Amino acid sequence: MKKYTFHVSGTHCASCKILIEDILGEQDFIKNPKVNLKRETVELETESEKSQEELASILTEKIKNNGYRLAVEKEESLEGDGSVLFKAIPIGLVFLALFFILQKSGILNLGIGGPITPTTGFIIGLIASVSSCLAVVGGLVLSRSAKVSEDNNNAVDKKNFTLFHIGRIVSFALLGGVLGVVGDVIGINFTFTAILGLLASMIMLLLGLNLVGVFEKSKVTLPAGVFNFFRKVQHKTLTPLIIGFATFFLPCGFTQSMQVAALSSGSFLSGMLIMLAFVLGTFPVLAFLSFGSASFAHSNYAPLFFKTAGVVVIGLGLFALLSGLAGLGIIPPLFNI
Amino acid sequence: MKDIKNKKENNKTTRATLIVLTVFLLIGLGFVIFGDSKISNTENIVQNVEVRDGTQYVTVNARGGYLPRISSAQSGIPTKLIMKTTGTFDCSSSLTIPELGYRKMLPQNGETEIDLGVRKPGSLRGLCSMGMYNFEINFI
Repeated sequence: MKKYTFHVSGTHCASCKILIEDILGEQDFIKNPKVNLKRETVELETESEKSQEELASILTEKIKNNGYRLAVEKEESLEGDGSVLFKAIPIGLVFLALFFILQKSGILNLGIGGPITPTTGFIIGLIASVSSCLAVVGGLVLSRSAKVSEDNNNAVDKKNFTLFHIGRIVSFALLGGVLGVVGDVIGINFTFTAILGLLASMIMLLLGLNLVGVFEKSKVTLPAGVFNFFRKVQHKTLTPLIIGFATFFLPCGFTQSMQVAALSSGSFLSGMLIMLAFVLGTFPVLAFLSFGSASFAHSNYAPLFFKTAGVVVIGLGLFALLSGLAGLGIIPPLFNI
Repeated sequence: MKDIKNKKENNKTTRATLIVLTVFLLIGLGFVIFGDSKISNTENIVQNVEVRDGTQYVTVNARGGYLPRISSAQSGIPTKLIMKTTGTFDCSSSLTIPELGYRKMLPQNGETEIDLGVRKPGSLRGLCSMGMYNFEINFI
């Protein structure tokens, strides 16, 4: 039995500790892997006769899909964590500025006349997906996707995103149909959507801060038990489905207009077709956000991507939170986009 | 060794540049978000308040925001707000007036009349339910 200490790179979250220990613990020649996040080291015991260098490369093979690497010597990096953030902030701000300029330009304000058919529903969906609704739905998708990609390997996050989109599309079609049947009996509750929107923006802020790395810097880490719980919840097949389903209720003027259109459409089929066409219109942009972040997350630009995504998500989250509070009449409006 | 030192110096200058860039971007973003730069705002100063048969009508257009953003009306006489929509699908069709507890989805096309009663001097604000568009009527 020999005891080795390796340097580990790529650990950006408290749950990384659990993940690495799980994977290394599954190898039968490894005993008691212990990750020290602060010092970025892994201690382990092994019966293997291989040299430490060989072990490092064998074990790196096992965990590199998740973005971690083991080395005998601490990898000298001039690009410290800080300088990535210094790059990520301006890049993120550029994206935010482009987003708000697009909203202010008025390009998206084209009026659409006539009755709502599935075709117009699809076009409205396309517009909605780049409108200010993107601040809530897109921000949520981006933050969740980046976070899921950060914690998982490629196959797991692709499955997660696919389930999210399935949940979203099914909920719009199904609930659209239901609205068509019940007609004007129920109204869509403004306060309910507004509160859900506030909740979504707070989740975005938390995930954004996490992506930027505020929590690891200030060493505000949640206890492993809590993280284990979150990891379990995240790995449940149902979770992305339910979140996708819930996006039906997120505040978005376009979604609400379409819900009203479905309400007055008069039948299950027409209500379903309108909402289905609308949600398919929003799909390209949202799919790009989720699957795009997956491919960035597993590339060499991963650290820069996570921090940039974090900056963008924080910006959108703040915007959504402050406007949501204004919409409820709690604070005076700050923006007039 | 010298190489590393050079690289570190380089890194310092890049970092300074990036900080300056960040500050400029923040200022720019502030202008974009808080600035009232909608061109149509200055062009469309229309007479949107009229008094007919002792009732004052204030008309506000809702599409991609509210126009005019600020209207001026008389206090002390019965007032009605007319919200005009023309193919409006965005948030501005989902109107809320917090002070009156008013929340309604405006129809995609048409005019919606909202009775404001007799207003005291002061301002009344309406927003879209997500809160990113708003308008104000100042009663004098």
